[in-house]
Amino acid sequence: MIPLSLRALARRPLRAALAIGGVAVASAMLLDMVMLSGGIERSFEQMLLGRGYQIRLSPKGTLPFDTEASVSRVSGLIERLERDPEIVGVAPVLGGSLYARSADSLLTVFGYGIDPAAQFLYQVEAGRDLGAEDTLGILLSRASARAIQAGPGDTIRIVGRLDPQIGAAAVERSVVVRGLVRWLYDYQDQRSVGVVLPLMQRLLGPLATDRASLIVLKVRADSAVPAVAARLRVEFPSVEVNSVAQLVVHFRERLVYFRQLSYILGAISLVVTVLLVATLLTITVSERLGEIATLRAIGVRRSRIIRQMLGEGLALTGSGAVLGVLLGLATARYLDAILKSFPGLPAALSFFVVQPRAIATAAVILVLTGIVAGIYPAWLASKAPIAATLRAEAP
Amino acid sequence: MSLLRAEAIRKDYQLDGEPVQALRGVDLTVARGEYLAIAGPSGCGKSTLLHILGGIDSPSSGTVQLEGVALGALNDRELTRLRLTRIGFVFQRFHLLPVMTARENVELPMSEAGLAGPARRARARELLAYVGLAHRQQHRTTQLSGGEMQRVAIARALANAPALILADEPTGELDAVTGRQILDLFQRLHADGTTLIVVTHDDRLAAEAGRIAHMLDGRIVGNGAGPAASQLPISRSK
Repeated sequence: MIPLSLRALARRPLRAALAIGGVAVASAMLLDMVMLSGGIERSFEQMLLGRGYQIRLSPKGTLPFDTEASVSRVSGLIERLERDPEIVGVAPVLGGSLYARSADSLLTVFGYGIDPAAQFLYQVEAGRDLGAEDTLGILLSRASARAIQAGPGDTIRIVGRLDPQIGAAAVERSVVVRGLVRWLYDYQDQRSVGVVLPLMQRLLGPLATDRASLIVLKVRADSAVPAVAARLRVEFPSVEVNSVAQLVVHFRERLVYFRQLSYILGAISLVVTVLLVATLLTITVSERLGEIATLRAIGVRRSRIIRQMLGEGLALTGSGAVLGVLLGLATARYLDAILKSFPGLPAALSFFVVQPRAIATAAVILVLTGIVAGIYPAWLASKAPIAATLRAEAP
Repeated sequence: MSLLRAEAIRKDYQLDGEPVQALRGVDLTVARGEYLAIAGPSGCGKSTLLHILGGIDSPSSGTVQLEGVALGALNDRELTRLRLTRIGFVFQRFHLLPVMTARENVELPMSEAGLAGPARRARARELLAYVGLAHRQQHRTTQLSGGEMQRVAIARALANAPALILADEPTGELDAVTGRQILDLFQRLHADGTTLIVVTHDDRLAAEAGRIAHMLDGRIVGNGAGPAASQLPISRSK
């Protein structure tokens, strides 16, 4: 039936091509919206689970890096967590603003205080990683390295905080650049540096002593994560305990309007597809009423006429969908690059994630759309009065 | 025994709000193997009668029986099946599917009737050879001449070995030479035992038939046979 439908569409190649083009654009939009609606959540989840740390501990009432608040008495907390048999990795992080000297000026950078032995924040791209107690080393993002004009092996001066009275450095250290790294949660071109946690605590001054912005935990088995999170919540009531699954839920709640927008735009693209295909098929039916009446006259069943029209609708949407997938993937890539460049968003976060499930969902929706679009023309064709149509067709 | 019997057929409909009496009590009996021409001027109701005889239109009153089956008693599905298997239609404008080849057009009714592919193709080839188009079976119908298209339409009408062939102005779109070929083909069908009812306003075609039913203003006004009958003067009543 489909090959015959394709042959029928080929009778008006330009018209069919225009319709397929229209369906392709609408399909691309639909695919992008399907990818957008679930993609950012998926990307967020993948980003958080990238290094296998499934639980985040942050200051009470906050989400990780949501505020400048930090967890106090963190060394004791880490010791207790490391004794937990279910926990196989504990990674504390302290974040804050630092300054790097460049010629005669100070450049603001974001500093991470980390434990290099248990880190989930970066990948070394050049040079080497910090040692476990390397208080003389520093890691730079490529943007920092460019701004400071330093590379692995160079010595730079880093300022922890400024004296508010005189505007001069209150804490300043010389450190050696050990390596260039890609910080996984940084936004594009963010100037970030990383030092070991004790050095970061000293750089930020007395208020940061024995503090961390965040502690992430690696649990032995994924299946144990909810139970461990629940237990830690009871055990440490002064901190916020979230599993990645719970963070994704929080994230989803914040993105509800975003998702609604993608649903609305996706629905509009479907309506456009239905109207386009239904209009074209209705015109086609009107033009071919004589042929349809003849088919009915020679004994072709209504059901076959209906199948033929639905087949033509499917052929149109199917052809358009194939082109639409290619177009949708290309536009998604382009739009993703634009959105990822927005300030304050991690560069590793993708808005459009190619998932086979998203493509399959879009394909199923389009097939249904093709069928829906063919229903009215098919009904029109099957109900064409045979004798009256043949009389009207007579010269 | 008659193959087709129509009794007291009336057909009324509205045209632009005005009542039209297309048929005003037509009685007609056609024997098996007969070649009947229904002749008359345009608008006299002959095509309407043909449509009713073929089960593609229903009479306002009266009955039609084909092989003893009352068409009015059949539902849409049964009537469609009867048209598929017991009646073959030939139209003035051929109405072949342009996206199909000649052979595929002939195969269409057989496919609808559920005949298997190889048997269907073999019979389509046989029928196309019968109408003199063995060499054109793989051609699209858009590549055929008017006469060839009408011969394909006749082969299609014969596909399921129907009891009756109904033809509506089959030479209306053809020139004299190709029209003659179609007439010859009808003669051959008749000679082979096919029952034919042909609607025409062409005296030449009507004269070929074994019997002519003359229609005027929705009534059969004369029945005759042979060339003499076709010369009956026909004029519309005022």
